[in-house]
Amino acid sequence: MNNIALGRYMPLNSSVHRMDPRAKILILLLLMIAIFIPAGVFGYVAIGLFILFSLMISKLKISYALRAMKPIFWMMIFLLVVNVLVIKTGTPWIQWGWFTVYSDAIYQTLYIVVRLMFMIVLTTILTATTKPLDLTLGIEKLLKPFEKIGVPAHIIAMMISIALRFIPTLIEETQRIMNAQASRGVDFENGGLKEKVFSILSLIVPLFVSSFDRAEQLANAMEARGYDPNKKRTRYKVLKMTGLDIVGMTGSICILGICIFICITKIGM
Amino acid sequence: MAIEINHLEHVYNTDTPFEHKALHGIDLSIPEGKVTAIIGQTGSGKSTLVQHLNGLLIPSAGSLDICGFHIQPLLKIKDVKQLRKEVGLVFQFPEYQLFEETIEKDIAFGPKNFGETEENANELVRKILPMVGLDESYLQRSPFELSGGQKRRVAIAGILVLNPKVLVLDEPTAGLDPQGAKEMMSLFMELNQVQKKTILLVSHDMEHVMRYCDHVVVLDHGKVLQESDVKTFFEHPEWMMEVGINPPAIVRLKVMLKEKGFVIPDEILNEEELIQCIKGQVMIHE
Ligand SMILES: Nc1ncnc2c1ncn2[C@@H]1O[C@H](COP(=O)(O)OP(=O)(O)OP(=O)(O)O)[C@@H](O)[C@H]1O
Ligand SMILES: [Mg+2]
Repeated sequence: MNNIALGRYMPLNSSVHRMDPRAKILILLLLMIAIFIPAGVFGYVAIGLFILFSLMISKLKISYALRAMKPIFWMMIFLLVVNVLVIKTGTPWIQWGWFTVYSDAIYQTLYIVVRLMFMIVLTTILTATTKPLDLTLGIEKLLKPFEKIGVPAHIIAMMISIALRFIPTLIEETQRIMNAQASRGVDFENGGLKEKVFSILSLIVPLFVSSFDRAEQLANAMEARGYDPNKKRTRYKVLKMTGLDIVGMTGSICILGICIFICITKIGM
Repeated sequence: MAIEINHLEHVYNTDTPFEHKALHGIDLSIPEGKVTAIIGQTGSGKSTLVQHLNGLLIPSAGSLDICGFHIQPLLKIKDVKQLRKEVGLVFQFPEYQLFEETIEKDIAFGPKNFGETEENANELVRKILPMVGLDESYLQRSPFELSGGQKRRVAIAGILVLNPKVLVLDEPTAGLDPQGAKEMMSLFMELNQVQKKTILLVSHDMEHVMRYCDHVVVLDHGKVLQESDVKTFFEHPEWMMEVGINPPAIVRLKVMLKEKGFVIPDEILNEEELIQCIKGQVMIHE
């Protein structure tokens, strides 16, 4: 359970932490699109440098970002194996009896791995430097214009913030139930498939039961205080864009532009 | 054999910004066959300490010896699994561990995890149910349709059915009505007296501590503040108030009586004797 710190807000004091959540979300979106545009090595280098720079000024440890990658490590290995077995184009690199590894297999794997890594690091930076409630506020503000076409921005934001609010509670609850079941002899780490299924079941069922309990209590508490999702409400916190927000957004728009340009013109590919 | 704890330290979330040292070198010896209370303010590390006793947490430094197991840093879960059968841990609000369709299956879950056959496990369930004050008509009912107090009984039965030598109870009566709490405590006392089980009780309720426990350990900010037998402990209530523990009613009454000029010997800790003592002094006065 030690990787629970991943995706969690890291209370540091950096200029990235102080950025406007709207700007950070927009930058994430722009770069995500850029990542999916096939813009060759040059595009990836540009995105990579941008990410590295953000990571540096956010004061997050590189090791923290690397640890976020751990869960996909095995996926990468799997991808490599499948690609090496399936892709038979490009120049043959390694010859091993009847078995040949082609360059395209390696390139293909690298492409996917790099994309995944970029996405994970980007999301990690966003969630580690933005308080969940600020994140929700950012989403709500960004969705505001779509309210005219019937997108319930406030309700979506409220749902997200309730969900976020209960993540730590659920983690705590999970830990507690795991402890209780471990005290009854459940081994969550070892054992065959049948034991695994049973141990997960002994965790999921109580978790569901208590979550439904909690949801009902929360709904009652909110209703008892007169909550009405359709009422107009004011905000305590007012978002403001500053210098770094503009620079960040301009930077990511430029990167997206470059990627699109390379993709269309095929210059440097 | 007593439980020996040596320089036990525990750090949560090592190497993250959330790093937090919850236990700072605990040295304790918990007597066998006795009821030991662990008290302390919220956040003082009581739950952290007791989770070491069945290997749910592994010390960051230091060691403990319990039921023939030597627990030290970097131990693997496989090495301590059998310890969990020897040391039964009942958590705060244990009713949240229920998950099976029937009460019978839920209580039998533990023994089956430790390798009992289905028949043996069900046999054990039938034996344990009356001990927690439920009869056989409950066996086929769903644990989710019980009242809170009944759920807790079923959950506790799920631990007792493993027949542990040491029973660790983390606030077992929290949220129960006074009557339910009393019944629950009587059950634990019976287990202690009849089956000679060693009991550790984490509690905020000083009345319970005074009435039921033999030995008291006070934790404060992850350190042992005091350790003594229960009589000596309640004879000196002054410092208890200093560290923010509310003494039992009778102890508070004694303090008030002393302020008014009564002479009350320290060792008086039950109502009968106190009444006699006051009566005597009032008679002399008149
Ligand atoms: N899983 C955890 N991760 C990080 N810190 C924790 C964790 N569990 C407990 N702590 C911290 O360790 C300290 C001791 O907690 P613990 O739960 O042992 O206290 P306690 O004495 O049982 O309190 P209470 O009377 O409220 O149950 C607290 O400061 C708490 O914040
Ligand atoms: Mg506790």
